[in-house]
Formats: sequence, C-alpha cells, structure tokens
Amino acid sequence: MGIGFIDILQSLIDGILFGSIYALIGLGFTLIFGAMEKLNMAYAASSIGGAYVGLGIATLFSLPLVLIFFIGPIAAGLLSILVYLVSFRLIPASNHLGSLMASIGALFFIDEVIIHETQGSPLTFPELGIFSEAYFMLGDLGFRGDLIFIMIFGLVSMGVIIYLLYYTRLGLATRAVSQQNIAARLCGIPIHATNISTFVLAGILGGFAGCLAAASVGVISPLLTIPITIKGLVAAVIGGLGSIRGAIIAGLLIGGVENFFLLVRGVNERDIYVFLLLFVFLVLRPNGLFGNEISRD
Amino acid sequence: MEEKKILEVEGLETSYDMIKALKGVSISAITGKLTCILGPNGAGKSTLLFTLAGILNPDRGKVIFEGEDITNQQTSNLVEKGLALVPENRLIFPHLTVQENLLAGAYARLAKEREIVEQDISEMYARFPVLKERSSQLGGTMSGGEQQMLAVARALMSKPKLLLMDEPSVGLAPLIVGEIFSIIKQLNEEGISIVLVEQNASKALEIGDYFYLLDQGKQIFGGSREAILKENIIKKAYLGESAG
Ligand SMILES: Nc1ncnc2c1ncn2[C@@H]1O[C@H](COP(=O)(O)OP(=O)(O)O)[C@@H](O)[C@H]1O
Ligand SMILES: [Mg+2]
Repeated sequence: MGIGFIDILQSLIDGILFGSIYALIGLGFTLIFGAMEKLNMAYAASSIGGAYVGLGIATLFSLPLVLIFFIGPIAAGLLSILVYLVSFRLIPASNHLGSLMASIGALFFIDEVIIHETQGSPLTFPELGIFSEAYFMLGDLGFRGDLIFIMIFGLVSMGVIIYLLYYTRLGLATRAVSQQNIAARLCGIPIHATNISTFVLAGILGGFAGCLAAASVGVISPLLTIPITIKGLVAAVIGGLGSIRGAIIAGLLIGGVENFFLLVRGVNERDIYVFLLLFVFLVLRPNGLFGNEISRD
Repeated sequence: MEEKKILEVEGLETSYDMIKALKGVSISAITGKLTCILGPNGAGKSTLLFTLAGILNPDRGKVIFEGEDITNQQTSNLVEKGLALVPENRLIFPHLTVQENLLAGAYARLAKEREIVEQDISEMYARFPVLKERSSQLGGTMSGGEQQMLAVARALMSKPKLLLMDEPSVGLAPLIVGEIFSIIKQLNEEGISIVLVEQNASKALEIGDYFYLLDQGKQIFGGSREAILKENIIKKAYLGESAG
C-alpha cells in the first residue's frame, strides 16, 4: 500500500486550508504580544469558551444556528476582557511571569467551567451548511467547501486586522503603546483602554476561529483548547512573536505539516512533528520568520 | 504688577521603591515665562517632571495647575488640560513615521477634529521644515537633532499651555543646540509657558527668566536671573566651567 504523490498533495491542501484556524489563533497571540510583550495563554480557551456560549445561547433560545457565528465571537470578546482584567490589569505591568501564570490559570479555569457545565461530554456543533456539502474537483485534487470557507474567512479577518492597525486611530494607539509606553501616555493615549481594545479585537477573532474549528469537526469539546492553544502559540512563535504576516504563514504551514504527517505517520505521531518544527525554529531562527512587526512598522 | 502662576508645586516627594528621589520640592512657574531647573545628574529633575506629568505619583505634596489641584491625575487628563512633556531622551515612536508620531501627539483631538489636526501638522512642518522632508520616514531612522525637533513638535500637537522640557539639548551638536534654544525662546515668546530642565547652564542662563537649583532631591535655590548670577557659590558648584 503506497502513498501516491496526489495523496500527499491532497493532504497538504486540506492541511493548509485547515491551518487558517491556527493562523487566526496565532494572529491573536501575536496581536496581544505585540501590544503588551506578554503571552495570553488563556486566548484559545476564551475562543472555544465563546463558541460554547454561542452554541448554548442559540440552543437555549432556539435561535437560527447561523447566529452562533455572531454570538460566539462577541462572547469570546467579552471573555477576553475578563481575562485581561484578572491576568493583566490587576497584576503589575512589570511582572511578566505573574501574568503568564495567571493566564495559564485562566485557561484551565475556563476549561474546567466548560467540563463542569457539559458533564465532560462533547456537544454536536452545527456544520457550515452549504459549505460543508460543497466539494470542488480540480483535476485529481479535491477542495472541501467548508475548508475553503474557513480559508477565505481567515484571509478577510486578517485584512480587517491589518486595516485596523495601520489605518485607524485605535491602530495608531496600539502601535504607539507597544513601541514606547511612556511616550504613548505623554501623548494622552489611554493605555488600559487601548489594551482592552486589543484584547477584544483578538478575542472576537478567536471566537470566530473557535466556531470555525468546531464547525469543521462537527463537535465542540474542551479537549479542543489545549491543541489549539499549542498550535496557535507555535504559529505565533514560528512566525515571529508580534509579526502578523508571520503568524498567518506559520499557521498555514503548521496545518500542512500536521496533515502531511497524519498521512505518512498516522494520528498518534502527527503532533510530534509539529513540536519538532517548533524546536527547529527555536534553535535555528529563534526570532521566527519575521520578528516583531507590530512594534517594528 | 500681578503675575499669575500657571504651576505651583508644594512639598513634592516622589520615590522609586526604596529610593526617595524628591524630598520635598516646592517650585512655581509664572504664566508666559521661561522657568529653568538646573542641577547635577541624579538631582531628581527628571523625576520632578515625570511627577508633574502624571507618569509618577508622589507620596506627598501638591501640584496645582492654573489654580486647580491636579495631583495624582491621569496623564491623559493633564494633556487635555494643556500640560505636555518633552521627555528626556526624546522617546520617539521608532517604528511610526514622522507623520504618525505627530498624529499620536494629537491623539485626544484625533476623533473630534481630524481636519484641524491635519492643519496643525502642516503648521508644524512649516515650523520644522526638516520634518516635512521626512514625513513618511520612520522616527527611529532620524538623527538625534531631528528626533528632538520631532519630540518638541509631537508635544506641541496637543496645544499645550505649559510645556515641560527635559534636557532637550543633551547629546546634540553645538549648531543644533543653538537651533533648539532659539525654538524654545520663540515658543515662549508666542505665549507658551515653559519649564526647562537643562544641563547646559550657560545656554539656559541666556534665555531663562526664573531659575531653580535642585540637588539630591531638594531645591536649594530659586530666583530670577539677576539673583542666580549673583550667587557665586552656586555657580561654581553646579554650573561648572561652561558657565561664562
Ligand atoms: N527608574 C528608576 N528606578 C530607581 N531609581 C531611579 C529611577 N530613575 C531615577 N532614579 C533615581 O532617582 C534619583 C533622581 O534621578 P533623576 O530624576 O533621573 O535625576 P536627574 O534627572 O536630575 O538626573 C537618582 O538617584 C536616580 O538614581
Ligand atoms: Mg534627568
């Protein structure tokens, strides 16, 4: 039983398309890091948490399921504010380790709340309607409609983020705060409000990614948080913490690499190679593909 | 003749963790005048300006700006009230363009009066032609003198009534120092009250109206130019040989 060239190409395509989710989560990590030089480890947890809230509210009030994709991101944005308050705002700015530990705490707290509320069992998550059924052939290669939707959605959100950062007052404030905190204060820029905006923005992005991830698998489970946290983080690090381009490219790369190894080595070994990739980068290119971009230009 | 005080500082004490950097400083600045603060390295001059601008909070003492107690107020409020600081080492946003640095300086006004801000930037370019040439260049790529001009222009973008300046001439070539001082003089003549911290005492003596000497967190002299020129001891001890 041999693996043909077409199989490999097909697995890379599926992987890269699914990698948009890692790219979105990596982008969220990188945005927050760019603004505060701190990692928010609870980021993927609040993203999945938002998707849960969206699903919960839609089910409770029998709303059209498409609304999950609006309620989820908003809930994730609000959860991000809570995470900001307990893990960043209340801890002295100079205490980087304190914020890191507190945000890891928030990660497990959110996970535990989800496990408690759902008695630990996964819930069915609505798939992406017509997109899930669509399938395009190009020669011998196939393209899943839901994955193409995720990819397009991912690219659009990245465009929106770049627009916000470089062409709006909020973006100017975010970049100013990240480059020269004291000068930003002297310009009258409200530091905390700016940081909260960055968290909300990243949170909304993560909420979308969480909903998309759950929709593409068809179930949502707290078991999603750790792999998404880690792969998003790996994407942010390989891309270069603070680099928007980097997070996007690395997220897609990780998607491709993991799906390739899924094909050739099986599901049990898949993640080993993703982490090997992380070590290769940390040793050979510790600043990632692009270094810190938000506070660079 | 009645002179209004734009700034009054009473018994200000500020510390960093263990070190008490200000041990009861009382100074005032008269509206429309140029007040200079001199003193050796480590005297507490920068700490004083950071406390006035709300970056540091004092342990004790009062800061009164235009008759209002502003002690412990947020920097963003102070900027809107008309108090701006050109900080030591300029603190330019290195990866924002010159234009974006100026926009950031007008941050509070940006939402409401974007067009007026654009006009003010044009005025700033007329005042500092070198900034116009470099408007799309990144702040961090400019020379020290250019960065200092940018730091001053950025502070002016908030339309301050009182401009605090921390050693604007330090590390610059003599020609540029002359230029900076003539800009300071001109801003003051245009009606902006100025508190200037300077190492270059002889230059400060040329343009200042009132002088304070700080040493080890305490203010040890305060008075007019005539008064400070008479104080030979102070001159020898703190103004060094550069004082003519
Ligand atoms: N960030 C800081 N942390 C601790 N001590 C500081 C800090 N900044 C200044 N100091 C101390 O406070 C005192 C006053 O410093 P500063 O206000 O910078 O003086 P000046 O501007 O007159 O040179 C000095 O003893 C200095 O070592
Ligand atoms: Mg100083």
